[in-house]
Amino acid sequence: MEVKEKVIAIMAKNFEVTPEDIIMESSIGDFPKWDSLGNLALLQEIQDEFDIELEPEDIIDLEDVNDIINIVKEKTK
Amino acid sequence: MVILEALHNHAQHIPAKVALIEGSREVTYAALWDNIVRAANYFSGIAERGSKVMLSADKSVDFVFAYFGAHLGGMTTIPVDPSVNELRLQRILDSATPVGIWGKLHAGSAGREVKPFPVLDNADALTHDYVMPSEYDVADILFTTGTTGLPKGVMLTQRNELASAVNINHFIGNTSNDIELLALPISHSFGLGRLRCMLLQGATIDLLGSFASMKKFFREMDDRAITGFGMVPASWSYIHKMSGERLGNYAAQLKYIEIGSAPMSMADKHLLMELLPRTRICMHYGLTEASRSAFICFGESMDHLDSIGRPTPGVEIKIFAEDGSEVACGSEGELCVKGDNVCSAYWGDAAEEYAASFFCGYFRTGDWGYQDSEGYFHLISRKKELINVGGKKLSPLEVEEVIDAMEGVSESACVGVKDDVMGEVVKAFVVRTSESVTSDDVIATVRSKLEGYKVPASVKFVDNLPKTASGKLQRLLLK
Repeated sequence: MEVKEKVIAIMAKNFEVTPEDIIMESSIGDFPKWDSLGNLALLQEIQDEFDIELEPEDIIDLEDVNDIINIVKEKTK
Repeated sequence: MVILEALHNHAQHIPAKVALIEGSREVTYAALWDNIVRAANYFSGIAERGSKVMLSADKSVDFVFAYFGAHLGGMTTIPVDPSVNELRLQRILDSATPVGIWGKLHAGSAGREVKPFPVLDNADALTHDYVMPSEYDVADILFTTGTTGLPKGVMLTQRNELASAVNINHFIGNTSNDIELLALPISHSFGLGRLRCMLLQGATIDLLGSFASMKKFFREMDDRAITGFGMVPASWSYIHKMSGERLGNYAAQLKYIEIGSAPMSMADKHLLMELLPRTRICMHYGLTEASRSAFICFGESMDHLDSIGRPTPGVEIKIFAEDGSEVACGSEGELCVKGDNVCSAYWGDAAEEYAASFFCGYFRTGDWGYQDSEGYFHLISRKKELINVGGKKLSPLEVEEVIDAMEGVSESACVGVKDDVMGEVVKAFVVRTSESVTSDDVIATVRSKLEGYKVPASVKFVDNLPKTASGKLQRLLLK
């Protein structure tokens, strides 16, 4: 599975939506479950799943799906 | 005087001043008042004065119009969290019987119709012949989360809400020049209180969905030149985890931060003071029934950071023993509060039932603590959460502090469980970050630091601990 599909699948599961509900511009707060707790859980799962570490300076700029996919791609290069 | 009168005055005297910001939308005090009157018109056309209306407290200007509009129409509002679960919603509806629900509810509506907030832009001309509510009118019924059982409706009059706002503004030192970022939920006393404080003062409030997006949070800090905000300790943990120490870049800009709702670690208090040495970092102690009864400003009370501070201006606190007699300084007892901030009644409780909530005119908070010789109050525990081991009472916090400091532990909660011999013994619920931590390790660590009766008789490892939306631990749910 490509990074994009995998990230979207994790988000869909965490936020209790379907992958079709998620677009590249979906951002924090767009789904009721994507609150601060949901965001923490998401970023933890993404770090575990892709075996990467995200530092505060990486995390601070993450706002939408696109940002998250890009940082994962960059870290797994 | 009621808060609405202050809003009316601001519309007259500072009409062009921005009162509310939501994204790119700005609402001046003149427009705010117009929309409040239009909303009052709308609600008056639906129900009689004295009716109750339930509002989904989403952080939008439409909610603010509806909230104050309902008050101006003579209604009592019941603000609820937009994500309220159906069971809780049903219980509140059964108990409070509002005439309708407005706003958006995300988790179902218990079969009831939910109307959108009234569209006011094209509403009729301002024909409403409004009458200001009296200071004794019930403004809001706030249903507390409750550690167990049914939600309890706290009835706050216009007088209660004005008194709280005046007290808070006095302590924090808010002025009309402030621009506050409101990222707290506003279905609760803390967030809704911040909204009232700012508007009473003629200041500006920027409604931000939540702290979830740090990018958005810092963008608003920059773009709107934010001078202060309110947060719960869990928000700070999140901000710190997500952005490191970047908040320190705003040291010259941030005049104040109000913290409340749950205890904050000493390490976090010191870190915040280090990052923001010139900011008034004020932490409150209060409950829905007696909003912000005490305050501590970290920088001004460096030697008392383990306390909840001193009574807020306009509030008195005394410590009473269980028989209702006042205890001497240094002795433990129940914290009891007197002041116009204390709620007026519990919804559905008879006057004599409510009277049992007082000792000599002081509202019994259910919190156990003491006052030190310098006038600072110290909280030991919720009275109901004290653990009684063979007649010796202990606070779960003391044991949790030791367990939480262990490597491989993220947090813990302790409760008293029945024991045939001791009456109660300590049971610890522990969230681990490392599986290598065992029950024996937890017990041995506590034994090495605390008295024998405080050592947990049993330890259970759990994935998470029950908490309220504002991050308050709900220990009684673990019993």
